[in-house]
Amino acid sequence: MSVSITPQRGEPDAPPEVIPRARANGPLRTLIAMIVMALAFMAVGAQLVRLALPSQSDITSSVSETVGGNYARPDIVDRNGRLLASDVEAYSLFADAARVLDRDEIVEKLASVFPDLDRSGVRKDLGDRTRRFVWIRRGLSPRTAQEVHNLGLPGLDFRRELRRAYPGGTLAGHVLGYVNIDNRGVAGIERYVDEQVGVDAVQSAALTERAPVRLSLDLGVQHAVESELEDAMRRFEAKGAAGLVLDANTGEILASASFPEVDPARPTMSLEAARADKIAGSTFELGSVFKTVTLALALEGGYAKLDTVLDVRQPLAAGAFTIRDLHPVGRPLTVSEVFIHSSNIGAAMLATRAGPQKLQTFVQTLGLMTNMQTEEGPIAPPQLPSRWGPVETMTISYGHGLAVSPLQFAVAASALLNGGHKVLPTFLKRAPDAEPAKEVPLVSAATSERMRELMRLNVTDPAGTGRRAAVPGFAIGGKTGTAEIPGPGGYRERAVISSFLAAFPIDKPKYLVFVLLFEPKPTHAASGEVLAALNAAPTTGRIIARIGPILGMMSASATGASGVAFDGTLPAKYEAQ
Amino acid sequence: MRIVNLAAFALALASAFLLYGINYDTRLLETRVQGEERAIDEARSDIAVLKAERAHLGRPERIEPLARAQGLRPASEQQLAASPEEAMTRALAQAGAARSPAAKAN
Repeated sequence: MSVSITPQRGEPDAPPEVIPRARANGPLRTLIAMIVMALAFMAVGAQLVRLALPSQSDITSSVSETVGGNYARPDIVDRNGRLLASDVEAYSLFADAARVLDRDEIVEKLASVFPDLDRSGVRKDLGDRTRRFVWIRRGLSPRTAQEVHNLGLPGLDFRRELRRAYPGGTLAGHVLGYVNIDNRGVAGIERYVDEQVGVDAVQSAALTERAPVRLSLDLGVQHAVESELEDAMRRFEAKGAAGLVLDANTGEILASASFPEVDPARPTMSLEAARADKIAGSTFELGSVFKTVTLALALEGGYAKLDTVLDVRQPLAAGAFTIRDLHPVGRPLTVSEVFIHSSNIGAAMLATRAGPQKLQTFVQTLGLMTNMQTEEGPIAPPQLPSRWGPVETMTISYGHGLAVSPLQFAVAASALLNGGHKVLPTFLKRAPDAEPAKEVPLVSAATSERMRELMRLNVTDPAGTGRRAAVPGFAIGGKTGTAEIPGPGGYRERAVISSFLAAFPIDKPKYLVFVLLFEPKPTHAASGEVLAALNAAPTTGRIIARIGPILGMMSASATGASGVAFDGTLPAKYEAQ
Repeated sequence: MRIVNLAAFALALASAFLLYGINYDTRLLETRVQGEERAIDEARSDIAVLKAERAHLGRPERIEPLARAQGLRPASEQQLAASPEEAMTRALAQAGAARSPAAKAN
């Protein structure tokens, strides 16, 4: 800016000039202009700064509420994407004691909507005027919420919260577990979701953006197993039942059912002792199915061959008691026949040949003595004998004196049948492109093949205990087990756990099925017996007949050709995403 | 000089107005975005409820009796054949077997 010429009025000789006069107030005007400009630019700058700041939302949520947050959980879906558990919005009713006008009116009117309302409790809570937040009832359906709203009571208000919904009802209830009132996982897969996958703390009913947790379960298989088990419980008047379908190579659990069932939406149900999970949460002496382990040991250790003959005619003395066969054949049996006739004496003889030390090591190798864990939680630890003497060796050889959870046993049996490599159970679906786990051999491929032959023979042989499990179209192999249940002062007469361990297709096992019936009665359907051959074996056959087509395992046996029914690897039409 | 000042002044004024306008528009947009977000939340919540409802209605426990009432049942190996020829032979045999008792009855 050029410096303005200062007029010098005092000079007489200076000609009168218009311009200097006009500029008489020049400096002042310039100053004013500059101030105005500066102000304007400051205003612009201030606006720019204000706009550049992260926009503050107009809605400010009140954080003074004295309530803990609610948790948003990811969905749980089955291996095909079908929904097993999901969050839905629900209304929760609370009262602000300070705004309540008439306590008695509120209590009486609320009782008309909730007949089971704890009147004195609510009255007491509302009596304390300092309490601004009292839960009345949580997780209301929109209809009930509307009913309460229609009462028009001051001091009551709703909060929108997330509630866990299990659309399948009791389906896979034991596996899923349950959540508490704040939507946090307490047991089962729900607990795993909290601990490993993560949940989001939310103030209102905001659903999570997390990807669903994909389980290895197959909803169709799970249902087929559950409905057949329920049916078997009815036909054989059993007190309980349990079933398991396991991928014999990857350890993925496709179905795990236990009866009496639990409803994940009713957590108190899961606390009843009778409803405990029989697959992973309890241990049992499994009886003759354990002979698969004994036979595998005998074959693996070279203590016998399939055609080795054992004289099983005489009962075997084992310490204070005697080992007998339930249905003695009355002649010496080969090792194969010991298996298919399920001879206790034969199994005890084989175990004695190997000796306590070898049996213990073998049981240890198969992972039947270590504590195991799945995503569902820890598996009930095995109950081991305090000492492994000759007597224990004999009883363990046919499945008594050592209690293990059915899941842990099925996992060990998978290793015996799948070619001899170790399997780790999981409830999560393996990614299709995941690299196959490194194979850890537990038994030789030859022993595994012999075991498959024995299992198959037990179903195809007319004398086999598993012949009632045969289903046309499937090559099934299996072993029965009828274990007496220990009670006070010895084993209980005719109170048994009958079980059937099956694998199919047996020449190259893909799936392992383990079915247990607890205290079945000698009903007409079981020809008046409580033997596994008459109840658990046919139940397993029915289960395989139903799940086989779902799993794409059926083959046209009429011509002996194995045409696959359909490609089970294609995504099903009903898939959610 | 004056022109420059006046121009700057006018520019400042204009930009102030412009900014004010933008600010106003932004607020309007923000309200709209919030509205949309609320709508999205509501839609997501509705989807969650509908998904749960669909899964509930499609639960196997409910579908099975309905399917059985329609005369459906699990697939059996009878429905499989290794080749089309075999399927045809079997179908003919079945048709023949179905006819022969009828013929006897007649």
